[in-house]
Amino acid sequence: MSVPDYMQCAEDHQTVLVVVQPVGIVPEDQFFKIYKRIASVSQVNIRDSQRILIRYRHHYLPENNEWGDFQTHRKVVGLISITTCATSKEWPQTAERFHGQKEVYSSTLYDSRLLVFGLSGEITEQQRTDVAFYPSFEECSDVEKRVEDFVESIYIVLESKRLDRATDKSGDKIPLLCVPFEKKDFVGLDTDSRHYKKRCQGRMRKHVGDLCLQAGMLQDALVHYHMAVELLRGVNDFLWLGAALEGLCSASVIFHYPGGTAGKMMGRKQSISQPLDAGKRHRAGALTTNGISADTSTEIGRAKNCLSPEDIIEKYKEAISYYGKYKNAGVIELEACVKAVRVLAIQKRAREASDFLQNAVYINLGQLSEEEKIQRYSILSELYELIGFHRKSAFFKRVAAMQCVAPTIPEPGWRACYKLLLETLPGYSLSLDPKDFSKGTHRGWAAVQMRLLHELVYASRRMGNPALSVRHLSFLLQTMLDFLSDQEKKEVTQSLENYTSKCPGGMEIITLPDGLKLPPVPFTKLPIVRSVKLLNLPVSLRPHKVKGLLGQNISNASPFIYSPIIMHNRGEERCKKIDFQWVQGDVCEVQLMVYNPMPYELRVENMGLLTSGVEFESLPAALSLPAESGLYPVTLVGVPRTAGNITVNGYHTSVFGVTSDCLLDGLPSVKTSGCLVEVIPALPRLQLQTSLPRSAYTPHPMSKEELSSSVSVQLFNGETQQLTITLENIGSEDIETLELTSKIVSTKEKVFGEFLSWELDEALSHLPLKPGQSVTLTVNIKVKLDFSGQENLLQDLNDDGISVTGLPISSPLRQVLKPRAETKPVGSESSKAEYSHIKTLEAVLNFKYSGGAGKVEGYYRELSLGVHVDVEPSVFFTRVSTLPATSTRHCHLLLDIFNPTEHELTVRAKNNQDLVLHASECQRMAIQVDKFDFESLPQPDQESIRFSNPKQLEEERQHAQGCQINSKLGICWSIPSLRRCGEASVEGVLNQLVLEHLQLAPLQWDVLVNKKPCDCDVIADCKVGDAVSLEVKLTNRSKNSVGPLALNVVPYQDYQNGVQNYDLEDGVTFIGSNTFYIDTVKPNESTVCEGALLFLYTGDFYLSIKFQDDSAGRELPLAWFTLPSVHIRALDTPPQAGA
Amino acid sequence: MNTNMAVCIAVIAKENYPLYIRSVPTQNELKFHYTVHTSLDVVEEKISAVGKALGDQRELYLGLLYPTEDYKMFRKLHNSFTDVMCNPFHNPGDTIQSKAFDGIVSGMMVQTA
Repeated sequence: MSVPDYMQCAEDHQTVLVVVQPVGIVPEDQFFKIYKRIASVSQVNIRDSQRILIRYRHHYLPENNEWGDFQTHRKVVGLISITTCATSKEWPQTAERFHGQKEVYSSTLYDSRLLVFGLSGEITEQQRTDVAFYPSFEECSDVEKRVEDFVESIYIVLESKRLDRATDKSGDKIPLLCVPFEKKDFVGLDTDSRHYKKRCQGRMRKHVGDLCLQAGMLQDALVHYHMAVELLRGVNDFLWLGAALEGLCSASVIFHYPGGTAGKMMGRKQSISQPLDAGKRHRAGALTTNGISADTSTEIGRAKNCLSPEDIIEKYKEAISYYGKYKNAGVIELEACVKAVRVLAIQKRAREASDFLQNAVYINLGQLSEEEKIQRYSILSELYELIGFHRKSAFFKRVAAMQCVAPTIPEPGWRACYKLLLETLPGYSLSLDPKDFSKGTHRGWAAVQMRLLHELVYASRRMGNPALSVRHLSFLLQTMLDFLSDQEKKEVTQSLENYTSKCPGGMEIITLPDGLKLPPVPFTKLPIVRSVKLLNLPVSLRPHKVKGLLGQNISNASPFIYSPIIMHNRGEERCKKIDFQWVQGDVCEVQLMVYNPMPYELRVENMGLLTSGVEFESLPAALSLPAESGLYPVTLVGVPRTAGNITVNGYHTSVFGVTSDCLLDGLPSVKTSGCLVEVIPALPRLQLQTSLPRSAYTPHPMSKEELSSSVSVQLFNGETQQLTITLENIGSEDIETLELTSKIVSTKEKVFGEFLSWELDEALSHLPLKPGQSVTLTVNIKVKLDFSGQENLLQDLNDDGISVTGLPISSPLRQVLKPRAETKPVGSESSKAEYSHIKTLEAVLNFKYSGGAGKVEGYYRELSLGVHVDVEPSVFFTRVSTLPATSTRHCHLLLDIFNPTEHELTVRAKNNQDLVLHASECQRMAIQVDKFDFESLPQPDQESIRFSNPKQLEEERQHAQGCQINSKLGICWSIPSLRRCGEASVEGVLNQLVLEHLQLAPLQWDVLVNKKPCDCDVIADCKVGDAVSLEVKLTNRSKNSVGPLALNVVPYQDYQNGVQNYDLEDGVTFIGSNTFYIDTVKPNESTVCEGALLFLYTGDFYLSIKFQDDSAGRELPLAWFTLPSVHIRALDTPPQAGA
Repeated sequence: MNTNMAVCIAVIAKENYPLYIRSVPTQNELKFHYTVHTSLDVVEEKISAVGKALGDQRELYLGLLYPTEDYKMFRKLHNSFTDVMCNPFHNPGDTIQSKAFDGIVSGMMVQTA
């Protein structure tokens, strides 16, 4: 007996063994169909109280049958043969074969049956109990009934045998039962010795116990076993003592665990019977009738005879230790171990069970075939599994798997090996789903897990399934990356590349024939992605929403204006919508920070985005990451083809020939600020070209990216330059609207006039602009910064002592002052540097344009052009002053002009001659100007007055005045050598005092001599002796009433040498009073005072009209009360015409 | 050669992965991995038995897997392990990388020349 039945369990001891075998040619599937039906009759009840259990085998070694006396459940007591018989001719041959088969087990058979299929006719008519005829495999409804009858007949034989053996035929010699290998030992032994007799008795008792157990008489069996143990112990018949003990154990197990110990593995249909039932099965008087042991008492005996669960194990141990003494009983020992383990498993005593198994491992059954070895390891594995030792189970299963492909096997069973290896996975706490490894760092028994994965790879490759080996290798690389040494990483990737060259790895689920599904393994660690960031479009392409368009924000907001409840939690952050938009048809970018964990260069091919929501054309990239790269930015691009919401779900890669779809959901370590973005309908694109060179300047408060381009130009202060801008539609949509705005970027300089100006109408007439078309636009750049220079630097010009600024002097001496051609070079270089200081002026031109479907949705785009101007100084007005002109209506404006350039410069004012200034030269220029009537300037309306503070108003007023003055002056400069010219503005240099001087006084005084207006250089002629009428007229143009005032007229003579003679009492006589009284003059009214003079001598006389007392409303400016001086020439001859 | 010396010493985390494993015949390390790994079944069994029987008792010593005379070995190893755990820079759960621990283990192992 060399082949152990690893499926055996303790309760098998109570079964009878029936072999079911085919005779002749029987189709296998049909045979097993019938076999199944036969096997379903596993238990037959006889006479209500009795039942018999049957164990069916379709294959049983006759060699094992020889141990039938040792343990009767090993004895083949029944044989059912199944055969087919087409014609009656074949029948005799078939019957012959059946008899031959019976011969094999003839020594032990109780009964046999032959089931014949396919035969009909007269032969079937014959009534034979041991043969049943069926026309076909389908028409055999009473097979089960037949089997039951058969079992019943077996029972009858069994019962008779039991009774026969149990009856103590005193005087008869009890035969010695023995196992096959013992037979030769007993040759020539003294059969009459007491020792021998006892041995015979003991063995027979044990045998009877077996029969009782099979016959369902548990209690009797226990009693017999106990007695057998006693007897055999006395004669040191260890093998049989072991068997008796094991019988005792089996009977006790059957008593304690009526459900059986086989567990799920056997799947035997066990009738539900309580332990009490087992007791009842004992037939009353059964023992007394056999008369062998009258001393056994049923009720007391049951409790005493049955072993406790602890004792069962003890006895098993003992039995096994006795079996162990016999080398030839290895199978028995092994089976006993297995049975004991099953019992212990039921008792949940895993550790003791493992001791039994440990013992079983070391039982030597001699030379085992490879197949037997595999079976043995598998069963060990299963038993370990049964007691919950998953690791040991996995270990033995793996050993079994390796055994399948042992080098000694001519045809290695890689398939079986692979299948067994898969079964070991749970024992090594390994699943083939990479998702289980994505949670945190992997902590497992990496060394053994890696080994197993390697074996899976190898086995699947040898199986001829490269897809499977690629999948396993990918899994190994992905999940065990942290545990692989650099060398191993290299090896694994190399072999992966080898495999994928034949069979590229993909994302499909591989389903094994047995239904196991291998999920795809995305390489989320090759490379490792740390963050995913959706990038906004470049500034010039960003869409903007037209403000005020209805339904923009209202639609998606909650009905509450403010809610303290945060609508989303942290987990949903990935789903958060990003607050910028992408545009349909435009390239969008996503930036990934990636990291190569490999010790060598990693080539990632076909890396692209996985998106959902809108149609998206991904433009994959290929990259090569250096070894241990550190964080490395990678930009993945794509073009959304439709509008709507797009979600970036992940990315796909192709590494080592394995394509992976890595979804961000499965990568908790990836940082992202949201992956949902809105794609708006297509918008046109505008490209801009300028006539001026581009520059790298960026206005300070703006980042470089905010400007699509920038131009720079160098201009002299006051110069004007034209900038031609060509706008081309390079998109695919028509440009339907175009707007242009400009903004001066925060400059400290005060800018006069309009910096940038343009005419857009011409360009707008070309709209809509089709794709590919372009339009040009001219923008005037005019720089007018402050022309004032710092006075203190040029003080040397003021030493002429004619500083008249702000003084109300109307000296005749001053009137003749001519512009002096005074040249004074500036002293030091440093001060010159101050003047050549270049100022910059920056502005942004903003083109707003829209068109296509995006315009319908209310979006537009902005294109900005930065304009950078370096302003070099052209001229400086270092000083400004006024000189009263001869007429109160006129005034002289004196400008000290400095040329800070290195070129000769010409300055020209309206109605004035050119002034040529050499480099760094300063000259004074006098310009006669009419005084200005500022009151006539348009007044700011009431609305703006209310909303601006007084200071602002004052500034505005000054600005308006400056403009007026400037336009009157029209000062231009030109640099002939450079052919540059421009304007100069005095706006910035005019101070309050100068302005007052330039202002036409609101109180207008007119002096008429002889009815002729007398002003300025006009000399009124009169005759000596004639009365000269003098008329003083005051017109009040101010807003307030003026007066009353008193005027005093004082005549004097100027000798032109600084001496003025006021003592003219005898030269000039007033007719009437020399004092005029002017009553209150209301606004826009005038009043006239008249008087007369009489000149007594010839001569030149002057009249000084002064206010008599200063008490009259001095709050008004002094300049308002400046009256023209009157020059009268008294002649004794009548004046000639035209004098 | 001292027969009382160990050939393989492993420290296993309670989550079933090795914190430390070292064996003397380094050429067949995997064999020891398998041995230690499979022996954990018994440990697991013992732990579950302790949990049931003694409740929350502080006795964490489970006894020996197989009886040996060399009882002091465990105490020595455990003391060193405690030292490792007391290291403020050691993160419980990480594999043990300590020279002192290495030294103790080496002292307990079979010296192969």
